[in-house]
Amino acid sequence: MSAALELHGVSSGYGHHLVIRDVSLTLEDGKLAALIGPNGHGKTTLLRTISGLVRARQGRITLGGRSIEALRPDEIVAAGIIHVPQGDLLFPDMTVLENLRMGAYLPDAAPLEAQRLEEVFALLPKLKERRSQVASTLSGGERRMVGIGRGLMAGGRILMLDEPSLGLAPIVIDQIYAVISSLRASGRTILIVEENATRIAEYADALHLLDNGAFAWSGTGAELLSAPEILATYLGG
Amino acid sequence: MDVLVQIIASGLTLGAMYAISTIGLALVYGSLNMLNMAHGALLALGGYICLYVMTVLGLPALAGVAAAMIVCGLAGLVIYHLAARPMLASRNFETQIFIATIGIGAVLENVILRLFGPQPVAQPLNLGGALVIGNVHIPAQNILILAVAVLLMAAVAYLLNRTRMGRAIRATAQNRDAAQLMGIRVGRVYAQVLAISGGLAAVSGIMISSLSGLLPNMGGDPMLKAFVICVVAGLGNVYGAVASAIVLGLLESGIQYVFGVQYSFAILLVLVIAVLIWRPAGLFGKTQVVRL
Repeated sequence: MSAALELHGVSSGYGHHLVIRDVSLTLEDGKLAALIGPNGHGKTTLLRTISGLVRARQGRITLGGRSIEALRPDEIVAAGIIHVPQGDLLFPDMTVLENLRMGAYLPDAAPLEAQRLEEVFALLPKLKERRSQVASTLSGGERRMVGIGRGLMAGGRILMLDEPSLGLAPIVIDQIYAVISSLRASGRTILIVEENATRIAEYADALHLLDNGAFAWSGTGAELLSAPEILATYLGG
Repeated sequence: MDVLVQIIASGLTLGAMYAISTIGLALVYGSLNMLNMAHGALLALGGYICLYVMTVLGLPALAGVAAAMIVCGLAGLVIYHLAARPMLASRNFETQIFIATIGIGAVLENVILRLFGPQPVAQPLNLGGALVIGNVHIPAQNILILAVAVLLMAAVAYLLNRTRMGRAIRATAQNRDAAQLMGIRVGRVYAQVLAISGGLAAVSGIMISSLSGLLPNMGGDPMLKAFVICVVAGLGNVYGAVASAIVLGLLESGIQYVFGVQYSFAILLVLVIAVLIWRPAGLFGKTQVVRL
């Protein structure tokens, strides 16, 4: 049985500028892996490369053994990689419900729409209250919830979350972490980008520290918390 | 009172006509950030295809309209694959496609000129006759134009709000990256939007030429007005474009009555400038800056 997601020597970037250099990664089904590290070192670009929004220049990306690095973004979604992007990227003129339904746009997901909507509302009850509200009028935390809910509507094999707690009030961050925790408990395979390394360390099976486009350190949460030199050098803690 | 009814009737016809050609432009700008300067040539192409099918082939009017919509829709697809798609990845896409479509429009107009000649021709699709109520005299052709326009606007609204294709178009227009992450193939959406815009241009061209006659460069003025309406509404806003088109149509017909035809476009432009000073993003526009 091959791993859910594997990256072999992946490089990518924008224009002439390489942002990701020779990154390799393995994510098993049912595990949560976190990409940590300072801002501007390629965490978001790595997720965008996996979902095809940025083309990989080199290397292989496989999903359950199948090569996906040459596919279009829509084909990668159909293959089962769901990307909840940074900054939510909601459809601003659509209601919460319309946004969620867009998540189930693909033919495979469409028949499960009603069932998944119930699941999303059970996990994020606030969205049920707000379902007729236009997305552009939501608060930051609510928008984040819609973004996550929209991703869950698609099903998929791997859920990629890009800084789901960024810029939110502490109480809302707690809510987001509660959602991450219950997604993990339900056996979802998750790749998450998170600035707050010590917080995600509690939940992650593996952490990968991205420094200047390459992995500088990988290990478990416990290993990170007992590695003060890593925390001090890269994570300001 | 009779005069007022007359002005409103002719204003609504003008507005409906503008609305149909503006919807296409707004859809294309909304989803691709592309100002299609070949739109005017597509209006002429639609008018001439209808003429050709009805007079040379001797087929009924409906066949003329259908043929015009198909040919102009295909022309939209050609514009996408030939010009827009290769430039999409470019940083200066908006400027490049603007210039490229000016070129495509010039080529298309000259092909029409070569095939049909420079002399004005009447559009055979014209009902003739009029509806007379008391002293009010409304040409049947105006009623037909209004009816077709309302039908087409309803069809576009249905397409955008009730169909899977429409959801994909709206999603792409609101956020291209997010649309891709939902599994939408945005390249296909762009092609669809340009084809739809071409089909609408055909109908609009037939309507316009049925009132003012066919000329290879007949599309220039209506395209300019359609752009003005788009800008007033806020670029890319489809429903705003319909509302603005109808308001401008009514205004134009009022101005024509009060001040005379020669002043109507000038006064219209003054009003537009005033609107844009007051609301730079357009009446229905979001506060966004469009770089061009």
